[in-house]
Amino acid sequence: MSTNPQQSVEPGRRRWGVDVGLVLWPSFLASCAGSLLFFAAVDPALLRDAGPRLFAGLDREAGYALGFIFFWVIGALASALSIYLIRTERPARRTVGPEPP
Amino acid sequence: MTSPRLRLVPKPSEPAPFYAAAEKIYPREISGRFSRLREIAVVVLLGLFYGVAWLDFDGHQALLFDLPARKFHIFALTLWPQDFLYLTLLLIIAALSLFFFTALAGRLWCGYACPQTVWTELFVWIEQWTEGKRARRMKLDRGPWTAQKLLRKTAKQILWVTLAAWTGFTFVGYFTPIRTLGAGIADLSLGPWSTFWVFLYGLATYGNAGYLREQVCKYMCPYARFQSAMFDKDTLIISYDEARGEPRGPRRRGTEARAAGLGDCIDCTLCVQVCPTGIDIRHGLQYDCIACGACIDACDQVMDKMGSPRGLIRYTTEHALHARATHVVRPRMLVYAALLTLAGGVLLYSLFTRTPLILDVIRDRNALYREVHGERIENAYTLKIINLDDKPHAYRLAPSGMAGLELTAPVEPITVPSGSVSNIPARLAAPEAVAAGVHRIALTLTAVDAPRIEVYEKTRFIGPSP
Ligand code: SF4
Ligand code: SF4
Repeated sequence: MSTNPQQSVEPGRRRWGVDVGLVLWPSFLASCAGSLLFFAAVDPALLRDAGPRLFAGLDREAGYALGFIFFWVIGALASALSIYLIRTERPARRTVGPEPP
Repeated sequence: MTSPRLRLVPKPSEPAPFYAAAEKIYPREISGRFSRLREIAVVVLLGLFYGVAWLDFDGHQALLFDLPARKFHIFALTLWPQDFLYLTLLLIIAALSLFFFTALAGRLWCGYACPQTVWTELFVWIEQWTEGKRARRMKLDRGPWTAQKLLRKTAKQILWVTLAAWTGFTFVGYFTPIRTLGAGIADLSLGPWSTFWVFLYGLATYGNAGYLREQVCKYMCPYARFQSAMFDKDTLIISYDEARGEPRGPRRRGTEARAAGLGDCIDCTLCVQVCPTGIDIRHGLQYDCIACGACIDACDQVMDKMGSPRGLIRYTTEHALHARATHVVRPRMLVYAALLTLAGGVLLYSLFTRTPLILDVIRDRNALYREVHGERIENAYTLKIINLDDKPHAYRLAPSGMAGLELTAPVEPITVPSGSVSNIPARLAAPEAVAAGVHRIALTLTAVDAPRIEVYEKTRFIGPSP
């Protein structure tokens, strides 16, 4: 199998740690912004009092924390998908038949 | 035309950025003007951070973003979620200031004020104190595990962990009252979420200041990447004076450099050894450079020893380096300054004219109007009253805008606790003779004990069609 020269910047090195960082860190920042905006408008106590049964018995502190984690997870999924798409990109095959010299 | 954007040179002979594989950097300690400046900044900023949390003002914690109670205390000011505008404005001002100062003086923020820098500095002080200076630390890390090494490493860890935990505690103390938090920790009754946040922030401090350090600047900080967009040739940067320094090379003290065909750089690599991000400033400005000034201090010392003038590495601008005039006042600065003044003005104006009371009037949707005793027409409303002051108030309602219009309910002043919302039904009535048609009216709500707190809201009064 041929490898994309663009892709294999660091042959033989494990990208794993980097990918974990690239997934968790931007989503953490996004979650900070998201929680700030969301909880400025919505009181987590309101979710408990008027929201679905799921939120019954939730105090504000738990609401904030779970909200933050929720945004973080969603953001992480988006980051992970981006990374996945980047890492699995293959160069298009432009020619059929023998390679041009 | 040259591009206005400052070119950042890639670091030569450096593998592609990879934090997993980054080598541990042992910056050499240095003293000098800029190190002193940073020490002062660290002491002042951390002093404020650890100290202000304990300040009280008028019976409450002076600076408290009380999330459990959903209100912000900023000294005399109390803000509620309804005051979101101020928060937005503050964030805009912070961003604009960053742009302004970056365009003016480069990465001032990074070198002296960024929490990453400040805490790293503190952790490095501890490291130096427990493990010794650069050479000793390198030797210690390479050497076998002796009792000495164990002792020094343990001491460092104990101090680091304590400091990180205290930092996490203080940080959370800005979001829930710090004394309650402290009491909760003391008698082990702290709620799970507060514990979670203290732990998370403590861990982040420990990891970022103890281990990741300059890698945060290199690989994690978005500002480090986009700051070059705010740079131009008049921005103050830290730079090596190539024209003066090259050709570099070692020489004996007292050698007449020019006569020997040399520049002023003696190639001692001190500037590289002191750099916390491990770069060689002599290759040109690189985005890894956090503008800490350590290389300036180092080179100035060398120049002093060699008897050459200081400033082979110095704060300068691209224009100055190429012997052209530097313009502090330039369109970019004017635009940033204008935006900053505008945002600041709006913030100050709205803060000073802020009325800690909100009134919303909703007309009853069920009935347009109601006849009372056959001679008066009555409309029903729901008032939504939000008291944004930090004490309870009683408010009196008064209608206006139509002859003969009277308030029939509520007749007593309405009391709303501090920071709460009250939904109050209200009724207005007018004689049938004048009531026909749609009337534009207004309701005024005034605090009984503070006439200054008054709001005015428009609505309509509807009578039978004429
Ligand atoms: S190049 Fe100089 S100013 Fe930049 S980070 Fe290194 S020591 Fe600090
Ligand atoms: S500290 Fe100054 S003299 Fe020494 S290598 Fe760096 S630029 Fe040259």
